[in-house]
Amino acid sequence: MIKIENLRKSFGDLEVLKDINAEVKEREVVCVIGPSGSGKSTFLRCINRLEEPTGGSIYIEGTDITDPKNNINKMRQRLGMVFQQFNLFPHMTVLENVTVAPKRLKGKAKAEVDQLGKELLEKVGLSDKADVYPDNLSGGQKQRAAIARALAMEPNIMLFDEPTSALDPEMVGDVLAVMKDLAKEGMTMMIVTHEMGFAREVADRVIFMDGGYIVEEGKPEDLFGNPQHERTQAFLSKVL
Amino acid sequence: MIDALPVLLKGLWWTVVITVISLLIALVIGLVLGLCSISRNKLLKTIATIYVDIIRGTPILVQILFIYFGLPAGTGITMSALTAGIIAISINAGAYLVEIFRAGINSIDKGQMEAGRTLGFSYGETMRLIILPQAVRRMIPAFVNQFIVSIKDTSLLSVIGIAELTMSGQSIYAMNFRAFEILALVGILYFVLIYALTLFSRWLERRFDVA
Repeated sequence: MIKIENLRKSFGDLEVLKDINAEVKEREVVCVIGPSGSGKSTFLRCINRLEEPTGGSIYIEGTDITDPKNNINKMRQRLGMVFQQFNLFPHMTVLENVTVAPKRLKGKAKAEVDQLGKELLEKVGLSDKADVYPDNLSGGQKQRAAIARALAMEPNIMLFDEPTSALDPEMVGDVLAVMKDLAKEGMTMMIVTHEMGFAREVADRVIFMDGGYIVEEGKPEDLFGNPQHERTQAFLSKVL
Repeated sequence: MIDALPVLLKGLWWTVVITVISLLIALVIGLVLGLCSISRNKLLKTIATIYVDIIRGTPILVQILFIYFGLPAGTGITMSALTAGIIAISINAGAYLVEIFRAGINSIDKGQMEAGRTLGFSYGETMRLIILPQAVRRMIPAFVNQFIVSIKDTSLLSVIGIAELTMSGQSIYAMNFRAFEILALVGILYFVLIYALTLFSRWLERRFDVA
């Protein structure tokens, strides 16, 4: 579903991604872990070209997203993204946040889109917050609203960039629960996270990154239980 | 004194008309060149920078004289004093509005653009639906401030013979020699207009602070 070949990314002289090859299959949940500065967020942001790759190819359902001939706006509609800082639109209500993209980009009728929006808010446990502005939500509620917003375009793949890192600890569980439900429904997901417990429980595969490379990847029980690489062992001994 | 009032009020009317038309044109200039100034395109960026630097780097009186007397002498393009006046105030206010738009747009968190683009919106759609509605709110006090500055700048149009408020006053005391009273009255009329706008601006600021 996602295939990444020889992905490289530099910021000026700083080479953040050196040679990334990876694959995510349909309905697979892949967690990317690693120390800060390892390039894992940049890696995720290259997949929908929020960062322009310096080299390599990224295939989304067979189409090369790095090819300038392909319409990036159309391709991004298939990829939902959730940010660490939520990035909700503060001048719109929660429901408007969720419905603005399908309304404008799919040209659907307001009633139909509002219905979809309400269903999504229900799903993330925010039915009672539809007409509230984001400023009046807690961090956990904001992130769940952001997930609903991303789902509103009915993407085939969801990307999560440290979705719980900006949350108070007591809010983390609600957001992870929503993500777990998504995984159970068979959504293809790629998650950059520091939540090792979540990765272990939900991921089908875990990728460990360090220094711009994928150092090791495997099933969570293997990677967490019996890491092969020295750097993986060192990282896990610090965070577990 | 009383018979001076209708003439002065007519002058005040022209002051308001010229300011409003000029500000509307300046808003278009400000938005378009403001977007140019934050664009990644070097050429567009340079055009916006040069425009802003030239206008901000020269006195408005020189700009008015240049458009009304300079342009016809150099290029043969002639225009009425009113047209020249509106053009001068527009391009002058436009330059300041470019900076106001640029600062306003830049003040919006980068994550807003990323969130919009990620949903599948183009750059232009994200600007229109997500960034500008937020930025414009923050710019309102600066807009009103520029409006006030431009009202005062229109008094300089008296040098090219436009019968706005200041010119109207001059033409009255030139005949009745009561410069003290007439100019005081002219000042009061400007003050009332501008003070009303100041109060309006404070009210807007409070309102949008809450939202």
